[in-house]
Amino acid sequence: MNNRLRVLRAERQWSQQDLADRLGVSRQSVNAIETGKYDPSLPLAFRIADLFAMPIEDIFLRDSA
Amino acid sequence: MTAPFPRQIPQYMRRYYRRLGGFMAAYAAVLIGGLYIAMAGIPLPVRVFLAFLNAAMILGVFWAIFRLLAECDDEYQRLLLVKQTLLATALTLAITTCWQYLVVYEVLTEGPAWVGVIWLAAFGIAAPIVRWRS
Repeated sequence: MNNRLRVLRAERQWSQQDLADRLGVSRQSVNAIETGKYDPSLPLAFRIADLFAMPIEDIFLRDSA
Repeated sequence: MTAPFPRQIPQYMRRYYRRLGGFMAAYAAVLIGGLYIAMAGIPLPVRVFLAFLNAAMILGVFWAIFRLLAECDDEYQRLLLVKQTLLATALTLAITTCWQYLVVYEVLTEGPAWVGVIWLAAFGIAAPIVRWRS
């Protein structure tokens, strides 16, 4: 699954650690999600969506998208 | 912009370090003390008690690791811990299986032994392997 996490984070000038602190996860977790090595669970995806005040489908995209 | 939350060691890791440190310190104390007492010559029931007491400290380390798995609230870190645990188990089974057949073919006379200690060593080895490029 693709995602726009890196772009959204860059727009806010947050480091991976900044985002990780806001989500209550490790920096490695943010890195793994951004690089597509790990797809977050639905609860974490909702937390990410809430943080960016966007719908989940605007952050996480199907592989074909 | 910086995050509003302090960067610190997660609570689940603090609890793990406390438990691990406690059991490892107790293990060293029981082992050294137990062997010192045993050298002076003690009855069988006391030796049995010391053996189980020593084993209990290792079991405590296992408990601390599995509590870490249960309490870890970072799902990606928990995934890595599960992978680490499985890899440690696979390494231990590989080592003890090879050791077993070395005994069967009389290359070695004893074993496999110290399986718990082997697993803990494998758990330590598995950590960087699992986290490499993760």
